Amino acid sequence: MAEKTNQRRKIVLVVDDEADIRKYLATALQEAGFKVLEAADGDEALIKVKENKPDLISLDLIMPRKSGVKFHRELLKNKDWAKIPIIIVTGHARDDLGRADLKELTMSGPGLYLEKPVNPKSYIVAVKKLLGEKVNESEETTLEKIKIQNEIKDLMEKADLNSLEKIKSLLKKNNDSKT
Amino acid sequence: MQAIKKNSRADKGDLDLRWIHQELFNQIPFNAAVIDRDFNIIEANQAFIRYFGRWKGKKCYEAYKKSNRPCAHCNAMEVFENGRSSVTDELGIDRRGRPAHYVVHIAPLRKKSSGKVDYVLEMSTDVTETKHWQKEYQILFDRVPCYISVIDRDYRITRANESFRENFGDFDHRYCYEVYKKRDKKCARCPAALTFRDGKTHKSEQVGLSRTGERTHYIVTTTPLSRGESKIEHVIEICTDITDLKKIEESMIEAERLAAVGETVAGLAHSIKNILMGLEGGMYIVSLGMKKDDRTRIAEGWEMLERNFKKTTQLVKDFLNFAKGQLPDLDLTDPNEIVAEIIELYKRNVAAKGIRLTAELDRSVKPAFLDRKGIHTCLTNLVSNAIDACNMSDAGDKFVKIKVGDENGTLIFEVIDNGCGIDCEIKKKIFTTFFTTKGGEGTGLGLLTTRKIINEHGGKIMVHSQKGQGARFRIELPRKRLELLYKKGREGK
Repeated sequence: MAEKTNQRRKIVLVVDDEADIRKYLATALQEAGFKVLEAADGDEALIKVKENKPDLISLDLIMPRKSGVKFHRELLKNKDWAKIPIIIVTGHARDDLGRADLKELTMSGPGLYLEKPVNPKSYIVAVKKLLGEKVNESEETTLEKIKIQNEIKDLMEKADLNSLEKIKSLLKKNNDSKT
Repeated sequence: MQAIKKNSRADKGDLDLRWIHQELFNQIPFNAAVIDRDFNIIEANQAFIRYFGRWKGKKCYEAYKKSNRPCAHCNAMEVFENGRSSVTDELGIDRRGRPAHYVVHIAPLRKKSSGKVDYVLEMSTDVTETKHWQKEYQILFDRVPCYISVIDRDYRITRANESFRENFGDFDHRYCYEVYKKRDKKCARCPAALTFRDGKTHKSEQVGLSRTGERTHYIVTTTPLSRGESKIEHVIEICTDITDLKKIEESMIEAERLAAVGETVAGLAHSIKNILMGLEGGMYIVSLGMKKDDRTRIAEGWEMLERNFKKTTQLVKDFLNFAKGQLPDLDLTDPNEIVAEIIELYKRNVAAKGIRLTAELDRSVKPAFLDRKGIHTCLTNLVSNAIDACNMSDAGDKFVKIKVGDENGTLIFEVIDNGCGIDCEIKKKIFTTFFTTKGGEGTGLGLLTTRKIINEHGGKIMVHSQKGQGARFRIELPRKRLELLYKKGREGK
C-alpha cells in the first residue's frame, strides 16, 4: 500500500505444500503491502530464512520432507530466528495428526493459529497483530473473534459441563464486545 | 553276631553256615523280618531296625504300623495259608513316626520236615519318595488346562486326565473321535494316525463338538507314549480348547476394520477443509481481479477455482471407492500373477522416468485366498507412491522393486524403492487419515485405502523408511486368517 513506502516493507514467509494455498495467502499479503517469500516445505523454508530473514512466518503443519514442527525446532536453535513470530495455518488443528504438533508450537512459540479455511481479512489482521502493527477497531474485533472461536472449538472437544459453562461466558464476552 | 551266640550249641560246620546266613540276612538291601503265625517278629535285619525301629518282643503290626491290633487284611496270613509268595503295597509308619509307603515281598518259610508254612520272610523297601513323585505327576497330569488322553491303535481311550473327564464324562474305552467330534469313524486329517505311523509329534487345528453340541476349536498335539521304540502302541493326545481365542481373533479383525472406517470420517473433514481453502482463495483472487479490472488475476483465480472443483470430484470418487465393499471377495489367487500384472501396467511409465521397476517373484509361494482386485489396488498405490518418491529424489540409479514371499504361514508382499524416503514425523501419519504430502496432487486416500483393504484381509501393512534412504512397504497376510475369512464369506453366502 502506498502509505507504507516511507518504511521498509515487512517480509512474510509463506510455508505450505499446496501451491494454491500459497498463492492465495501470498496475494492477500501482497495486497496488504507485505513482501512475500514462498516455500513448499520445511527444508525450503529453512533455505529462505537463511537467505533473507523474514519478519513473520506463516506456517502449515503437515508437509512432505520437513514438517512445520521440525522446521520450527530448527528455528529455535538459532537465537535470531527463534524470535520470528509464527502464525500457523492448518487443517489439522483438531485431529490426531496435528494436535500434538500444534500444542508444541503454541507452547514454545509466540504463535497464533488459524484453522483452514481462513478468510483473507482475518488472516491479514492476525499477521498485523503479530507484527505489532496498528490495527483499527473493526480489525481488532475480528482478531478477538478468531481467538474466541478457537477457544470455543477447543472447549467443544471436551464438551463436559465445565467447558460448556466456559463457552457460555465466552459467548457472552463476545456479545458484549460487539455492543 | 547275636545269632551265633544264640546258637552256640550248634557244631562248627553248622556255625559257619549259620554265620553266612546271618550275614546274608543283614546285607540284603531290604528291611527283612521273619514272622511267625502269631504275628511275632522273631528275627529282623539291621536295615529293618534303621527303618522301623526296635522289634524285639513286638508283633509285626506294632513294628510296621505302630498299631496295637492285627491289620484288617493281612497279606502275610494269606501266604501262611496258600504257601505262595506275594508282593503288596503297604502304608505304615517309620521309626520317626512319619508315614511310610513301602512295597513288601512276602515269602513262605518251611521247616524241612513239615509241609506247612512255619514262618514268613517279609522284605520291604521304601517307596515314599517315588509315591510322592507319582502323586505330583498325577496331579500335574490331571490339572493341566488341556484335555489329555492316551489312545491305543484302535483310537480307544485307555487313560484320560481329570480335565478331560470333567468335560467329557467317563471315557470308558470310548473312541477319541466319538468323544471329541461325536463321529462314528476316524477323522480324515488325524494327527494321531500320523504319530502312529512315524513316531513323531504332530500338531493340528481341529473343530469338534462340546458335550452340549457347540462348535469347539482345538489345537491337538499327538505324541507317542514311548521313546524310540519301533512300534507305537499308544499315543498321547493333548487338546487345548481355543474357541475363545478364535472368537477374540474374529472380533479383532472386525474391530480393526471399524477403526479404519472411523479414521476415514475424521480425515474426510480435513480434505474438505483444504479444498474449501482453495476455493476461498480462488474466490478472493477473482474478486480482487474484478475490483482492479486485472484480467490476469481473474484468470489465475478462476484456474484455482477449477482445480479445487476438480479435486472435489476426485475426492468423492476416491471416497466412494474407499467406502465400497465391506468384506473382501476372496478367491484362490496366485500372488505372483498379481505382481506380474502390476509390472506390466507400469512398465512404460517408469521407463520414461528412468526408474528400474523389477519383480522378485517366488514360484514356491502357493496361491492364497485374496481379493484380487483389492490387492491389485494396494500394490498399484504402493508402486505409484514409490515412483513419486523416486521422482522427488536426486539419486542416480533409481529403482522400485516388488517382492513376493512366504514366512511361517504368512504371505508377504513388499514394495521397495530408493526414492526420497519418509520423514519419521510423517511415517506416523501416513496410514491414518486423508494425509497427503503431494501438495495438491493427492487426495490422501491411497495408503488409507491400501490399509483398509489389507485390514479387511486380516493382515497388516507397515513401513520401514528413513528420510533420504528410500522406503520399504511390507504387507503381511496370515494365511490362517485368509482361510478363516474365506470360510466366513462362504457361510455368509
